[in-house]
Amino acid sequence: MVKEKRRKTNSADNDGEVDVYKKVVDYEEKEALTRSAEDDANLYFDTCKSIRQILADIFDLKVQNNSEARLKISEKCTQACLLVAALKKLNRLDKFRSVHARESLSIEKQKVDSTNLQYQNLLYEAGHLMSEYNKCKQFKSKDEDIELISLEEFLKEAPESVTKPFQVTELTDALKHDRHVARLEYELTQRKQLAELCKKLEDEKKQLAKDIIQKKNKLDLLAPRLATVLEATKPLQEQLGLPIGKLYAEHKAARLLPEPLYLLYVYADAFKQVYISDIGLEILGDQDDAQQWKEQQNTFRNSNNDESEQETEQEVEEIAEVKKRRRRKSSIIDRNEEKKKRLLSPHPLAVQIIVKSKEGVALKMTFSYRYQLNIVTVVSSSEYSDNFSAFTAKEILNGNNLLGELFEEDKGTNSPNSGNTYQLKKVGVDSYSSLVTELGNAYQWAQRICGMDFLEQEHEKKFSNTLSQASVEIVLKTIIKRLNSHVALATQLQQLESNIIPSISNHVDFPKMSVSSLTKFVSSSWSNFCKVPSSALFIENEVVGQSDLFYTAIISRNNAIMQAHIVVKNNYPIQLPIFVLLVKYKGELHSGNSDDVRDMERAVNVGWCHGSSCAEWLLAAQIKCLCMYFDVYLETSDPAAFQQNVVFFRNVSGRNRGRPFKFHKIGTGIFTQT
Amino acid sequence: MVNKNFYNTILSLTFCPRGNYLVAGDIYGQISVFYLSKILNPEGNLTKFDQTPKHTFTIENNLHINSLLTTEQYLVVGTSVGIIGYDWKNIKNGKEAKISWKIELPKVQSNFEKIDINCMVLSKDPGLIYVGCDDNNIYCVNIESSAIVRTLKGHSDYIHDIYKLENELVSGGEDGLVNVWDLREKDVACKVEPWKRDNIARNDLGKWIGAVSLSDDWILCGGGPRLSLWHLKSLNNSMIFPLEDSGIHVAELYEDKVFAGGRSNYFYNMSVNGNIAAEIPVSCVTVYSAIHQENPQKTLCIAGSSPKIDVCTNFTYKDQVLSLY
Repeated sequence: MVKEKRRKTNSADNDGEVDVYKKVVDYEEKEALTRSAEDDANLYFDTCKSIRQILADIFDLKVQNNSEARLKISEKCTQACLLVAALKKLNRLDKFRSVHARESLSIEKQKVDSTNLQYQNLLYEAGHLMSEYNKCKQFKSKDEDIELISLEEFLKEAPESVTKPFQVTELTDALKHDRHVARLEYELTQRKQLAELCKKLEDEKKQLAKDIIQKKNKLDLLAPRLATVLEATKPLQEQLGLPIGKLYAEHKAARLLPEPLYLLYVYADAFKQVYISDIGLEILGDQDDAQQWKEQQNTFRNSNNDESEQETEQEVEEIAEVKKRRRRKSSIIDRNEEKKKRLLSPHPLAVQIIVKSKEGVALKMTFSYRYQLNIVTVVSSSEYSDNFSAFTAKEILNGNNLLGELFEEDKGTNSPNSGNTYQLKKVGVDSYSSLVTELGNAYQWAQRICGMDFLEQEHEKKFSNTLSQASVEIVLKTIIKRLNSHVALATQLQQLESNIIPSISNHVDFPKMSVSSLTKFVSSSWSNFCKVPSSALFIENEVVGQSDLFYTAIISRNNAIMQAHIVVKNNYPIQLPIFVLLVKYKGELHSGNSDDVRDMERAVNVGWCHGSSCAEWLLAAQIKCLCMYFDVYLETSDPAAFQQNVVFFRNVSGRNRGRPFKFHKIGTGIFTQT
Repeated sequence: MVNKNFYNTILSLTFCPRGNYLVAGDIYGQISVFYLSKILNPEGNLTKFDQTPKHTFTIENNLHINSLLTTEQYLVVGTSVGIIGYDWKNIKNGKEAKISWKIELPKVQSNFEKIDINCMVLSKDPGLIYVGCDDNNIYCVNIESSAIVRTLKGHSDYIHDIYKLENELVSGGEDGLVNVWDLREKDVACKVEPWKRDNIARNDLGKWIGAVSLSDDWILCGGGPRLSLWHLKSLNNSMIFPLEDSGIHVAELYEDKVFAGGRSNYFYNMSVNGNIAAEIPVSCVTVYSAIHQENPQKTLCIAGSSPKIDVCTNFTYKDQVLSLY
């Protein structure tokens, strides 16, 4: 049946009978869907089984090969064919089913795809919205940069009408926003107000400045009028003998002094007024020059830096040129000479201080400021009466000896400014000491009283007020003391030079009479001192130096002679004069080869402590005692030749066989060993 | 101005019992203590400061410290104010030294000067010392009881030096006499007068004997007269030492050597037969004290009329110079 139908369908196809075929197809499709696939499968298997059975039967029949069999075979064949047709139908149904299944799958797949797409779209949209949101969030407004007054202040100070809505504790966002706007507005009004105020004040200031200038002009006009008034009163002052004018002139001159000398002048003047001492204080030099110098300095200071550079350049050139041609040498020397002159030149004004002693000896000190070297130099001289005629006395009153070593080691022959060595070398001077005679001594104390301290040197020209103030008193007092002790020494030397031992104060114990006497007293020198046999030890120990003063005294008794080489220090009597002895009796004996002479030297050099009050008699007392010691020495060492004049118990005593050089004021005086 | 120490004179020296410290006594009454072992074995270079005393103290201003003596426990100082004992512990510590004991000798003369002690030696009996004084006597003093145990009288002027060997003691004085005492006997055993010999005497210097020493067979003495050696038994002069000096103040027989010094530019180290082994140039004008020790280190210290002390570690040349200031 199926086969027929098929054929029919085929013919229908050919004939264009679509409807039937389509109907069949539609029907079969429906059938395929309604039938269960499982059942069809079982049916299929059963049919196959039946076919196999039939085929087996046919085979059996064939084997029989009879007619009956043949009939049956054809019958069976028909049956088999029918079964095959059924198989075909089943097969078709199956095909339909699978097609149908595939179609439904693809439909489902499409559905899934579209859903997925939709999902992706949604995601993208969400992302976009997110970024938009962020953008909004990050938005910055200009008002955030403006510095506002704090919230509390705003609530407190702004007018109530503005702040009223915001006095609640909890605010909504909208309110917060409004509040902010309100604050900004408030700020704006405030700022406007302040700007106005500022402008007003500035105007006021301008006005005041104008007033000041006007008043200044008025005052300036007043000065010349005052000057004319002063001028007018001068004759009256002179008539009345008032020193106002003179003081004024002096102070005017003082103002022209360079700073260091000004300090000196001011403090020395103060010293003079406080101690009412015999100090003369004067300013020397031409004031006009000083005025000129001052102006010059001001202009010079500005151009100073350039010039020094030029100079170095010039020098380099010069050296090169010298190598090329020696002919220009003379002109270079001239220029050097000029440079040297300029370097050493002093300030046109100088300060002179005159110190007088009771005896009328005057010490004049002139302080000059060498501004290029930045040091103060002192030229000193002394004036004394004709009473001091002896050479030694004159020597001791010499200005250099009076001021030398006023303080330890301060001879004033080296420049205290270490920079000077270089400056001087530049102009061909080896050291300051060669200039001392020309310029004067550059004592350390002179720098100090002028406020200059080279130990704490910072190269800027700063002059210490306090240093000067502190030093002037000490230095001037020391100078006065020094002057007095040197005058006292000169008085003694004056007499000693004519072999008279001056009278001695009663403070010291010593025997009144001595047989040995001073027979000669002369000035000596460093080189002579060096020749004394025992002097080496003194020089080695730096007890005696080149700057000390040297004398030779001769003390004699009969044919015994003693040379006393006397070293007087500049700071007499703080440091005792030193006696170096040489006894010429039975050989030459001195402290290097005789204990007795050494003991005698010890007795005269050590143990005089009477402070500075002894200046008037110390040297004389030492010489007087030395005469006595010489007596003791001679009488103990050669009693046969020298009759005993002094009292002592033993010639010698102790392990060292010491002589009795110690005087005790018992009775007429006794000498003992200890 | 001259520092007074510039003219100082060291009259006496002594070592401490262990030999690590050197003590010097001068004419200003000062005792100066030097840390000798540090000076001789310095750590690094010695500065000038190292060569000055570790510390100093003054007994009495301007007191001449003529003699110093070391006992096991005490530093004994002989001066015109008496014999003073200081405990070595205090001396080494450097504090202001406290006087442990003091013995004043009885005044025999009406003279207002006190008796000065010029020299001291230890006795072999513990606690006894012999002191030579300027009242011409030698006393034997018990330092524990402060008693004068014995007085040796035999000089007519003050005693310069004494030296003791076993039972024999020799003394030299300003009177030019050299007395030898047998301490078991009462009087002087024998005496020598060098100034009476023309070849020994030096009339310009005087007859005084400044130094004496003794060995089993020999007496050594010198002073104004030349340094000479005498045979103890026969009292014959056997040697006159050829020294360039103007007075002997130090002389000692030590082993087979002779040490001598005085007013001379040298300190002499000689053999007994007069051969000069070494001439040590001295810093002082006159040598007043020279002491030596073998332990802990061979040391010879020489001092005199100078603030300096010469130190020799081999007895032949000067190694170091110490100074009082």
